[in-house]
Amino acid sequence: MSEPLLRVSRGLAAVRLAARGGARYAANAPRLFARAGEQRQQLRDDLALRTAQDVADTLGTMKGVLMKIGQLASYVDDGLAPPARRVLGRLQDSVPPMSPELAAGVIAAELGDVPENVFSEWDPLPIAAASIGQVHRAITRDGRAVAVKVQYPGIAETIAADLGNVGLLRSLLRMAVPSQDVTELIDELRERVGEELDYLREADNQRQFAAYFDGHPTITVPKIVDELSTARVITSELATGARYAEMLGWSQPEKDLAAETIYRFTFRSLYELHAFNGDPHPGNYLFEPGGQVTFLDFGLVKHFTPSELDPLIEMIKTLCIGGDPEAFRRAMEDAGFLAPGAPIGTDQVVDHMALFYDSISTRGPKTMTSAYASAVARRYLDFKSPLAAYAKIPRSYVILQRINLGLFAILGEMNATANWRAISEEIWPFVAAPPSTPMGEAEAGWHAAAGAAR
Amino acid sequence: MTAEVFPGGGLFQRGASAFAASVPVDPADDGFFGPGSVTWRMHADLSAPVSGLRSLLLQALHPLAMAGVDQHSQWRADPAGRFASTAAYVLTTTYGDRAAARAAADRVRRIHQRVRGTDPVTGRPYAADDPDLLIWVHAAQVDSGLAAAERYGAEFSDADRDGYVAEMTAAAELVGVPPGRAPASVAALDAYFDAVRPELTLSPGAADTAGYLTEMPAIEPELTDIWQAVAAAAIAALPGWARDLYGWPDAVAPDRTEVRQVLGVLDALYLGEPGVLEGRQRLAVRMRAAESAR
Repeated sequence: MSEPLLRVSRGLAAVRLAARGGARYAANAPRLFARAGEQRQQLRDDLALRTAQDVADTLGTMKGVLMKIGQLASYVDDGLAPPARRVLGRLQDSVPPMSPELAAGVIAAELGDVPENVFSEWDPLPIAAASIGQVHRAITRDGRAVAVKVQYPGIAETIAADLGNVGLLRSLLRMAVPSQDVTELIDELRERVGEELDYLREADNQRQFAAYFDGHPTITVPKIVDELSTARVITSELATGARYAEMLGWSQPEKDLAAETIYRFTFRSLYELHAFNGDPHPGNYLFEPGGQVTFLDFGLVKHFTPSELDPLIEMIKTLCIGGDPEAFRRAMEDAGFLAPGAPIGTDQVVDHMALFYDSISTRGPKTMTSAYASAVARRYLDFKSPLAAYAKIPRSYVILQRINLGLFAILGEMNATANWRAISEEIWPFVAAPPSTPMGEAEAGWHAAAGAAR
Repeated sequence: MTAEVFPGGGLFQRGASAFAASVPVDPADDGFFGPGSVTWRMHADLSAPVSGLRSLLLQALHPLAMAGVDQHSQWRADPAGRFASTAAYVLTTTYGDRAAARAAADRVRRIHQRVRGTDPVTGRPYAADDPDLLIWVHAAQVDSGLAAAERYGAEFSDADRDGYVAEMTAAAELVGVPPGRAPASVAALDAYFDAVRPELTLSPGAADTAGYLTEMPAIEPELTDIWQAVAAAAIAALPGWARDLYGWPDAVAPDRTEVRQVLGVLDALYLGEPGVLEGRQRLAVRMRAAESAR
């Protein structure tokens, strides 16, 4: 597409459009859906995708890409405006599951035989939707209970073709996230979506996390079943546990433990594996009492080089430990967060940035709250701040905003209290403090072994 | 049907309201076409916005039809409302049950009875219920469905294309075309255009209307550029002689994949409007049931 054919550059847009519909929704909701629940499920089954053509009709012509843009936007920005979220939500609702026959066809194509022969038991009804596939339960022939993620047939080709329309992508991203550098986002989008479509890579990531956390007292990463995993199918151990919403009803001490595990998982991964699972989505966690958390879905893992990680470490060292504002500013400039020589006082830079480090700036118990998470998100999006004109998120760090916008939101919703600074000092490789909590004590044996293995 | 039926913003949003309201929840019967028809598939095709715009551009080239619209319709006062009403009419006669389709057609017939006058361009008298004019409007719509789908839509076989033209004679008869007079095959449709072409001309009203339709100030401002892509596709899908009349002989046909991508974005936004997804699903369930019954 030539740019003049479509040069939407009017800001938030499609989005305002959808906003106007909101108020009328309740009155217009058709009767067929007034009876929710089972009938709705029945309807989704009636509409199941039966052929690769159905997949292309439903997720082609940019629709799959739009969903991915929505996902991307949710970690580069304060999510999307509610109306845009609604458009994307409806789009997601418009994707029914694969019919049992279509899913079985993918298994046959990928694993060489129909599921009933590949597995000793196969549940033809999916237990969960993945963004470009769905998850089935099965039992392997050697008796292991597994989760089998099956990719929609043809989706990789469909999405690749749509990602080739850079002119249209540019317009859409300008609508969805007007504040961001669109060119970098397009690169990021294409790279991430390409990775997500590649189940071999996702399985590799999961293997890496599973191997690293093997033996951890509270962190579980389901193991990949190699011989039943391909470019379009991932088979892993079936995990059990309570969903996030259920866990929110647990006692505060239980929630604090779960939060500590999520926190340790995030920063152990970042500082020791140099990898970040960019999808801290509540749906990707399963909980058991005692702080046991199972982590699912490694489709969006970002690997960092030491040179990408070093400036982040330098920023923590100079701000939280050394208290050297000028050095902090230089570290920000080195990382590309701040234009060198910006006509902004260093005290203003520190004022602006300190909020992001609030939970770890001093020792002692601190409670994460939704209010703090919102304040962080607002600060992050404060384009009116004097810093805004000179600030930028370099592409390698885009995904890390999930820490600020995703992780803090989850911990805030859990109202989790911990001595985050002390836990961080255990994890920070440049401090490597002794255990500060019972979970830290329990981790010590695992950590020594994990360190030896690396 | 008047504009107040679909209140709210611009063309896009009112069109979505019209769709949600026109797809019945509890139909008494399958209407004049039914879930197994080509017409149901054609009118739900991704190419439908291109078809709709091409249809209006083509219809405007008949001076008597144009005069009737110009002298009697309030469309310039409320273009979005007028388009939503037209969309609702097509959707109701397509997907509604027979009673709903007849009621919609009867309303249009009553309005047509009052639309009479003299065309300032040709000096000829006209009447909106003149079967010749009704056939013109009908043929332009049917031809546009075929042309838009062929370039930008799903695959329709030759048998499907003939089937669509034949099925759509029911819509022509609903609005008052005497049985047997509307073209009933692709060949008959082509012959009809060959015969009617001498009557067509670019009247000042048509030129003005086409300018309006391609610019489309009534659409939500954020969709203007998407509309430009739809307009480029609609113009490319016009017959060569129609482009010549409009003075767009060199219109470059946009790439099929790229047009479909733009239409897909439009469709995704459309799905975000209240009731559209549910309406689609109601239709899809019935079409699948009809398919498996075959």
